[in-house]
Amino acid sequence: MSEIIDEQVASNFYFDKNFNNQAVKLLPGEYYVTDKDILLVTVLGSCVSACLRDCYSGIGGMNHFMLPDGNGEAGNPLNASARYGSYAMEILINQLLKLGARRSNLEAKVFGGGNVLDGLTVANVGQRNAEFVLKYLQTEKIPIVAQDLIDIYPRKVYFFPKRNKVMVKKLRSQHNTTITQREKDYRQRLYKADTGGEIELFS
Amino acid sequence: MAKTILAVDDSASIRQMVSFTLKNAGYEVIEAVDGQDALDKANVHAVNLVLTDINMPRMDGLKLLELLRNLSHYKTIPILMLTTESGDEIKAKGRAAGATGWLVKPFDPKRLLEVIKKVIG
Repeated sequence: MSEIIDEQVASNFYFDKNFNNQAVKLLPGEYYVTDKDILLVTVLGSCVSACLRDCYSGIGGMNHFMLPDGNGEAGNPLNASARYGSYAMEILINQLLKLGARRSNLEAKVFGGGNVLDGLTVANVGQRNAEFVLKYLQTEKIPIVAQDLIDIYPRKVYFFPKRNKVMVKKLRSQHNTTITQREKDYRQRLYKADTGGEIELFS
Repeated sequence: MAKTILAVDDSASIRQMVSFTLKNAGYEVIEAVDGQDALDKANVHAVNLVLTDINMPRMDGLKLLELLRNLSHYKTIPILMLTTESGDEIKAKGRAAGATGWLVKPFDPKRLLEVIKKVIG
């Protein structure tokens, strides 16, 4: 039986000595929202990350996701990829609204979608993720104020929502395969998972 | 005559996907962008089923549910919650307020239609 895909709150907290700041590291499939001066950090290969922020209150958050394979449904507006991607974005937006952000004040900075996963059957995985996040934000009328997408390098993203600051480092050399392996594991989880949530009828 | 569904979600992407699914299955769809918009539309249209998100600006889905159940013509109309929320506590609140069912996102079009068919045919 397949499991339900569930986006998780990031829980990997640490003190970042370089920035002298409390930080939380997001892994694939995670998100985090905050109204405090916390640094949100993630490393992206072909995954994408939306950094959303209420431009008045400074409440902000980040996610880290990729679309599951479309299974040949690329032209279908209801394909599992689009439904999962919308879900991943909605989770982040809902958590921001719960913290007090206003939807109409949200602005986005988007990163990732590098074509860095080799040996996979679906070409342009990164580009597909990047195109999705751009289209989603356009549909939701959330302005994109910065972006660094596609290309061939992994990226390390540092987001300071309270300070309205993002720093991106392109990782032109990788010392190990941790990034690609994490993404491959995540991709495998998505492949096996059920892309429909649970249903309960009360009467 | 086609049955009419009031589909409520603050996400334009979700509204597009839900409407596409329902219209393709032969239902008439009225879209609303939040609870307040839905309440306004519910008062002027004849609706057979309400499918609503929970976390929305202006008025959330639980408040909408409560207010609709206070209207005599919505006492027995099926109201399904389609939400990212899956906690037992909020689900119990929805049930107590009169929700007919609970669907957790991401939604599967086929299963959504099965549930709708079950409650309104």
